[in-house]
Amino acid sequence: MQILITVAVISTITVLLAAILTIAERYILNYGTCVIDINDDKKLEVKGGGSLLSTLNEQGIFIPSACGGRGSCGLCKVAVLSGGGPLLPTEKPYLAAEELDKNIRLSCQVKVRENIKIQIPKALFAIKSYNVTVQKIEDLTHDIKTLYLKLADEQIMDFKAGQYIQIKTPRYAKVKEEVYRAYSIASTPSHKDEIQVIIRKVPQGICTTYVFDYLKQGDTITLNGPYGDFYLRDTQKEVICIAGGSGLAPIKSILHQMAEQGIHRKTTFFFGCVSKQDLYYQAEMQHFEKTLPDFQFVPALSAPKPEDNWQGETGLITEVADRYIKDGANTEAYLCGSPGMVDACVSVLETKGMPKESIFYDKF
Amino acid sequence: MKQSPYLAKAQLEMQPGSISNIGFLGDDKRNLQDILNEDAKTVAHLGVTHAQVADVMEKVMHEGKKAFGNPVLYKDFLQVTVESSRGKMPCPFGHPGMYPKEVVCVTNQKTNESMCWTALSIHMIRQHGFYQGKGSSFRIEPEKVVRVLEIVIDK
Repeated sequence: MQILITVAVISTITVLLAAILTIAERYILNYGTCVIDINDDKKLEVKGGGSLLSTLNEQGIFIPSACGGRGSCGLCKVAVLSGGGPLLPTEKPYLAAEELDKNIRLSCQVKVRENIKIQIPKALFAIKSYNVTVQKIEDLTHDIKTLYLKLADEQIMDFKAGQYIQIKTPRYAKVKEEVYRAYSIASTPSHKDEIQVIIRKVPQGICTTYVFDYLKQGDTITLNGPYGDFYLRDTQKEVICIAGGSGLAPIKSILHQMAEQGIHRKTTFFFGCVSKQDLYYQAEMQHFEKTLPDFQFVPALSAPKPEDNWQGETGLITEVADRYIKDGANTEAYLCGSPGMVDACVSVLETKGMPKESIFYDKF
Repeated sequence: MKQSPYLAKAQLEMQPGSISNIGFLGDDKRNLQDILNEDAKTVAHLGVTHAQVADVMEKVMHEGKKAFGNPVLYKDFLQVTVESSRGKMPCPFGHPGMYPKEVVCVTNQKTNESMCWTALSIHMIRQHGFYQGKGSSFRIEPEKVVRVLEIVIDK
């Protein structure tokens, strides 16, 4: 009995102390104004106390992050050259030895409590936040939609075909925190004030439930971007594209770019679906076959239904690509889809002699 | 039973709208410690461990993923389909890492009994002994997963 009382007393004291610390940090501690020195080039005066990730975000500098600052995705890495406090145990699992040597930290775990000097890639300065209006929501299949988004008031976004944006989902229904989710841009980079994204419904997903069940034409939402290094490389190599589901989006954007810029490289696009009900944008792909002189679209169904009357390719997309591709030595590949599909495609392409450095992918 | 601040924080993350739209607890009003304790007792009674259950679920998922969304037959009696969506989810217990949005659905063709789980479910069972709250869409009843997947552990 005495042991139980002792445990209860110690637990209560611990909880009380933790509560006092939390309250003190929120209401009493004042870190005043701190300076964030970025790349020895830009100095930001900010209110101290927040995480480096959120503080930079408030200043219009967006570090890629997928977990909302929970410290679980390991994406929001920046080099912290001075300030920022000691490395936390929550950061260590995400940092390799060479990253630790370069003072790389997770910006969501670093608190701005003093002047901080950081280094970030210059490309991140190009990432901005935009308010956009939903012009149209188009049903493509039973579980895939295209959002047509218009940037507000003469805003433009410079992006490369293949890059992605993050859409902010506001608080709605039981969703009490704003969350960001990444979607590839499907539209042409030449239309800088319009963005199209293709969204497949995720069972119980916060953002896709919002898009499918709450978002309406005319609504305004916020997004930021562009992100990513999945884009068409400037070579003369033959191009192989392979995608499944909503992975068609960045490939469509790349095809728009090729059509508009007169890039006439031999290109084959393998698009894998289960049955005909999952196929979409066939007319658009047929249009590319007319406008791009050496482009072939190869849709493939892995399990066509009898009523589909499917005359095209059948089998897993890896099997179809394996049948078509004879020699991958002088080709480049652009893959977008589930991790399983992308990994399997990489294996097939390597057996065809395609060098690893010529295979680019955007895994879901 | 009282629970630690760590579990109390995890239970907050499991509420609807925090990590997933519907959360992980369904309509289960018990505290997390009680949910974990009861499932741990059931699993022990079944003669298996959380890791053994998770291993079989992972193996089934691994085989299903090879078919990119198509149904495949595993071990001649389990029809498996794995659907992948864009994005990843964090663990509500604050464990490092992100888990792909993959939903595994299986049907035992001998009994016609079906169930579904996610990549995150496997992690939560293995690392935390968490099978989700009663009424959660992805609640894994320990008896059911052992029965449907025919998990037999050689002693």
